[in-house]
This record gives sequence, C-alpha cells and structure tokens, in this order.
Amino acid sequence: MKDTLAPVLRLSAHPDSRCWYVAWSPKGSLLASCGGDRAVRIWGKEGDNWECKCVLSDGHQRTVRKVAWSPCGNYLASASFDATTCIWKKKNDDFECLTVLEGHENEVKCVAWAPSGNLLATCSRDKSVWIWEVDEEDEYECVSVVNSHTQDVKHVVWHPTQELLASASYDNKVCIYKEEDDDWECRATLEGHTSTVWSLSFDPEGQRLASCSDDRTVKIWKECTPGDGDGSTDGAWKCVCTLSGFHSRTVYDVAWDRLTGALATACGDDGVRIFKEDTTADPEQPVFYLSAHMPKAHSQDVNCVAWHPQEAGLLATCSDNGEIAIWNYHSDA
Amino acid sequence: MASHFSGVLQLTDLDDFITPSQECVKPVKVDKKQGKSVAKIQIEDDGSYFQVNQDGQRQKLEKAKITLNDCLACSGCITSAESVLITQQSHEELYRVLRLNKVLLSSGEQKVVVVSVSPQSRASLAARYSLSSSETARRLTAFFKNLGVHYVFDTGFSRTFSLLESQREFLKRFARKEEDKKALPMLASACPGWICYAEKTHGDFILPYISTTRSPQQIMGSLVKSFFTKQQGLDPQKIYHVTVMPCYDKKLEASRPDFYINEFETREVDCVITSGEVLRMLEEEGVSLSDIEPAPLDTMLSNVCGEELLCHAGSGSGGYLHHVYTHAAKQLFGVEVEELTYKTLKNKDFQEVTLEKDGIILLRFAATYGFRNIQNLVQKLKRGKSPYHFVEVMACPSGCLNGGGQLKPVADQSNKELLQQVEELYKAEHLSAPEQDTRVAELYQTWLESVGEETARQLLHTQYHAVEKSTNGLTIKW
Repeated sequence: MKDTLAPVLRLSAHPDSRCWYVAWSPKGSLLASCGGDRAVRIWGKEGDNWECKCVLSDGHQRTVRKVAWSPCGNYLASASFDATTCIWKKKNDDFECLTVLEGHENEVKCVAWAPSGNLLATCSRDKSVWIWEVDEEDEYECVSVVNSHTQDVKHVVWHPTQELLASASYDNKVCIYKEEDDDWECRATLEGHTSTVWSLSFDPEGQRLASCSDDRTVKIWKECTPGDGDGSTDGAWKCVCTLSGFHSRTVYDVAWDRLTGALATACGDDGVRIFKEDTTADPEQPVFYLSAHMPKAHSQDVNCVAWHPQEAGLLATCSDNGEIAIWNYHSDA
Repeated sequence: MASHFSGVLQLTDLDDFITPSQECVKPVKVDKKQGKSVAKIQIEDDGSYFQVNQDGQRQKLEKAKITLNDCLACSGCITSAESVLITQQSHEELYRVLRLNKVLLSSGEQKVVVVSVSPQSRASLAARYSLSSSETARRLTAFFKNLGVHYVFDTGFSRTFSLLESQREFLKRFARKEEDKKALPMLASACPGWICYAEKTHGDFILPYISTTRSPQQIMGSLVKSFFTKQQGLDPQKIYHVTVMPCYDKKLEASRPDFYINEFETREVDCVITSGEVLRMLEEEGVSLSDIEPAPLDTMLSNVCGEELLCHAGSGSGGYLHHVYTHAAKQLFGVEVEELTYKTLKNKDFQEVTLEKDGIILLRFAATYGFRNIQNLVQKLKRGKSPYHFVEVMACPSGCLNGGGQLKPVADQSNKELLQQVEELYKAEHLSAPEQDTRVAELYQTWLESVGEETARQLLHTQYHAVEKSTNGLTIKW
C-alpha cells in the first residue's frame, strides 16, 4: 500500500465518557462532537491546534448520540437518548437552544438535515422515522411519522441532491423513503445484511448507498433504473458489492468522501480503514480495495468517521475512549 | 401478527411484542390463605398446576389471568391488550352467545341480542356490495336476525345525542374561557385511539381539554342498557349488546371501566366487531349481502325517516366540527352558517374553518387527523401557540371512514378509490339536524329528565384518566 493514513492530532474531547459522533460544519471551519457526558462540544482551529470553542451542556438529560449541521451552517441539531432533539442556532461564537423537538417515545438515535435545509429527519428506538419541516420563523412541524422498521432505527441520511431519505435499523434492513401525495412512505427495503445496520452514506452523486453492519460487512447498493432490463421496479435498490473479510468486528460507521471518492469505515476492532474503488471495474459490479488501514486508530471502539468537506483527505474519527482524532489520508492512485 | 390498532396506538410503547403469558409485568393480586405453607407444586402434562400438600392431597391451582382492564390500566405494552381483546371481543364471541341462546331457548335464560351498526361500517359494506347505505342496513338487519339477533339499531341515533352534548359543552367552555385556561380548545372525544394515546402519553396536561361527551358508541351503550332495558322490562345483563364499528380501537373503548355497570356486572357495550369482521361472518355463512332479502329497519333507536337512514352533515368522522361550529356561530354571534369553508393547511388531514366578522376572527376550528398532525397540535398546545377554539381530533388519516376495521380494497382497487366510494355512499344519505330531531328531544324530556340531572350527565358524559408511567424496576429501559 502506497496510500497512507497519517495522524494529525488527537483531542480528549469528552473525557471519562464516550465520544459518539463528530460532524464538520459545511465550510469545515468547525467540528461538532457529542458524547455520553450529555454535552455537545464545538471545536475550531487556532493556529495549528483545534480548541474547544463552546460546550453545549444544558440541552439534554442523557447521552447525546448524534449531531448534524444544517446546510447553511447556522444551525446544529443534536439527537439524544432523552427522547428529544435540540435545534441550536449559531450566534457569533455562541449557540442558543432554539427549540426542542419532542414526540419520540424514547431514545432518539440520529438526526439529519435535508440538502434544502427545509426538512429534518429523526429516528428512534421507538422504531419510527419522523420528518420535520422548518418554516421561515424557525418553527418545526412534523410532516410525517413512518413505521417501516420493526426494531430500533439507528441512522438516517438524506440523498445529496434529491428529497430521498434512507434509514438503517436493528432489524437488519435499510429503508428508502420518498414523499407521496402529502405524506412520506417507504419506497424500497434493502435486505441483505444479517445483523444490525449501523450507518449509511451516499456516494457523492447519490447513485449509490453504502451501508455498514454488525455482520462485519459493508454493502454497496445501487438504484435500479428502468433501463437495467432486470425487471426490477422503479425506485428499487440492489446490492452490487459486499466488502467482507476486512473487518474483524462490527462496522459502526461508513463515510464516502465527496472530494476523493474514498470510503472510510469505523470499526469495533478499534481500526479505521479506507477503501478505494477500482475504476477499471464494471460499474454494475464495482470492486473496492483496501487502500489504507490504521489498526489501533483508537484504544477502544471507533464510533464515527467524518471527511472534511473542503480539505481532501482530512478525516475526523472518534471513539468510546472519549477521544477525537484527525487524520490525513493520502493516495497516490 | 400485524397489529390492527390505529397507528397512534401502535406508536405508544413500541418495543413490546410480548403477550401477557410471557413477560407481562403487571402485578397480579394473590389472595393469601391462612395455613401451613409447606407444599409442592406439580406441573401436569397439559400445563396445569397442582399443589400437593404434605399429606398427599392435590389441589388444582388457579391461573393468574390478566384482564383487558389490567392491560389498559398499565403503561406497558399494547400488544398484550390486543391478544386479550381478541378472546373477549370478536365475532366468534358473538357466535358463541348466539349458539348458547339456541341451547337456552326453552329455559328462559336467553339473552336479548342487540346489534348497533355505525354509519361508517354501513358505508364500507355498501361499497363492497354496490348497494346504497340504507339498503345495506336493511339487508344487514335481515342477516343478523337470521342468525338470531333480536334488534338491529343504528349508532347514528346515539350520535345525535353526542353532537347535541358537544354543542352544549362547547358553549359552557366558551363562557368560562377567561377564568379556565384549559376550557379551550375543546378537543373532540369520539376517537378512542386518540383518547388512549392522550391518556398514556400526555396525561394530565392534555386531558382537561378533551370533551367529556361520550362517543356515539358509548351513548348507544346508555340507550340500550339503560333506556331500552327499562322499556323492555329487562335487567341490563340480560341484554348482549354488540356494536359494529369502523375501528379496532373501539374495542378498547367498550372495555373501559367507566362503561361498566357495576350493579349488574355488565358492560354497556358487551362486544365490538369491525366492519371487516361482519364481512367474515357473511363469508362464513356463505351468503352475500346482494342475495339477502332486505328486512324492515328497527326504527326505535335508529336515525331514520321512513325506511331510509339519515346522516349527519360534515366529516365522515361524525361531523363534530360542523355541528359545534354552526351551533356556536349562531348562539354566540348570531351568525347563520350556510356552508363551511375548509382551508387545507399542511396536508389534507389538517383543515381549518374560521368565522370572521369585520376582519376579526371570532371562531377558529380545526380538523386534525392522523398521528403526525396530532403531534403538531399537542406541541402547539404545549407551547401555548394553539389558536383554536375546537379541534376534531381523529387518530386515523382521513378519519373514521378510513378506520382500521373497515373493509380492505379488492384487487385492482386503490385504497384511495375505495375511500372515495365509501365517502360518497356515506354522504348520499339525507341529512338530519340534531337540533330538529323530535324523537331525541322527547327522550331528553322523558328518559333523561326522569333519571335526574346527575345520572343524565353520567349517561351522556365520561371521564379520562392519566396513566402513570410505570417506575417498576423491571420496566426500566436502558
């Protein structure tokens, strides 16, 4: 392997706790993290260092599981085990809690903003996926509650350009949702994983979806087009590639880099892996190879991988040991 | 098994897929008996338990049973309630009672079986058999009577009472809105899915807003087990009262302790079956409604004019918004409303009607159907941002005509097409105005006057109970 993954720096982000998730702001100037200490922290670059600019500690009563920036970068959403989702508004260097979205019966596992910034999706252990609409006055209204999963829903992610939502669940399935009339419905169910699906990521164009699972594999799904000639219905997705044999434990997160097309994974074996696509392969049967592997990236489970939106190859990861690490991925290919 | 309950009910307490026999945490009361406590317990091959005393005496032990009431009073699972429900309220149970009646024919121990059919169920069955709603009623009457049912009534009749009581309750609430912050908005109470959700999830915060007026089903319960029994000279437990409803959740409503007559150990509505279950009965009997010879309607407790059944104006969910609005406009502001203009808000299941005079909004009513819209309504109330005076709340998207107990579309038919057809059949009946119903007015004067004000109130109104979240160690969720 000529490709390298080099450490840049390490932060003790949520000491004595777990760091569950990190998210870069759209311009990449800020990094938000959240953890078992019920807090959200905002990190910014000072010279060569990253410093904690802000601690949002009064929003949640329990673990904050995920954070998400709005596409404009002025809002931050945090999903918590206290069954609520907080919407934070950026004011100069500070954040104020704008509103608290209530309604889920128990732990909210994930929150994601649609590319338009007008829609927000949340999912929960209560098995439901909710879609919220934001108006000009920062008022949030629930536009749909979809119950397509039969178990805990772990992750939601929006398509990069269309109003299409995907969710991953403990029921081993992935669901794809679209608006129909004035409600949202599940248009496709992706079956193939043999255990919990932990996370999802669309490729930069939105033609493919990567899913990672407790079954130690990553699967690549592709939307079927009517021209495929395989009789599949419009809106269906098929698995075109399974990355197996690379991970020795649960794969908790997967992220497709919009700038380089590389695929990063976070694994329960404490490692971080980067995959690259063989560009000579048939697009209907893509081939991915392991480009870089950092075996002990953290001293405990790696929970999240997040590519910097503007600096190619810059990757943030976080772990059960409360740390954030930033890496530089370099590929000669 | 897929749950039949409305989406709202399935959403509360979602992670339970247990049946009471497995993991129910409801503590069961055990009557302790004095005496020696040394004994063995033996389990037989059939699963029954025997206590074997030291002297070798064997005694069969009673099974601990979880009743539906236990389930409803518990903040635990809802799926358990369902499995209990299926054994207590089903068309099988109705068949059982009818069979028993035949056996008891000569003994005089027979029960008088009364079936009250909802207008929504009628319309659903009418669509399947391409009949008018009234024709469906006449044929259903014949079908049930052939099975041994004695009377077939129409809950449109009791709905007239429910609408009148809602109108009156609204005026009272409007009058005290300054001193009582929870007088308005008045939230409609006819939907049991909504009530159960409100009690389990939003408890004391939301319950004061909910109208105390009973639903048509439960006013029918009063009419049948209080008025009709007296008329027939029967005790309430001598009548087996069945309702036919568009909704599974109505079974829960009938089982509420509030609708149990302690004195006679009987429910006001003994059994609720859905429109779909009636279809199954027809299929089991091998008959089609199209081939049944119609029978004359039982007019005593039916909303009829001659041989035609009547309908109420407004939504297919009972028309609560329509009737409360027109009545309030007239009584409070002297405005005769000819036609209501519904404005669709976020989606077709969130509609608004306003009464304006000189640019000022005097009344603002809404119809809010389905879980997502109920959520927004509740959140608006919690934030003190609800602009409404009255809201017709229903758990099902599109309301009762689209209830979970209605007939499913046949092949090649979309749910939307079917719903439209059912709606047309429902609305094809002539309208009746509750205020002008002389028979109902007469019952207010005779029956309800005679029982006294407090009893009359109990017969037409009910109450709600917040369900405490269980703090039992076993149910803590990590």
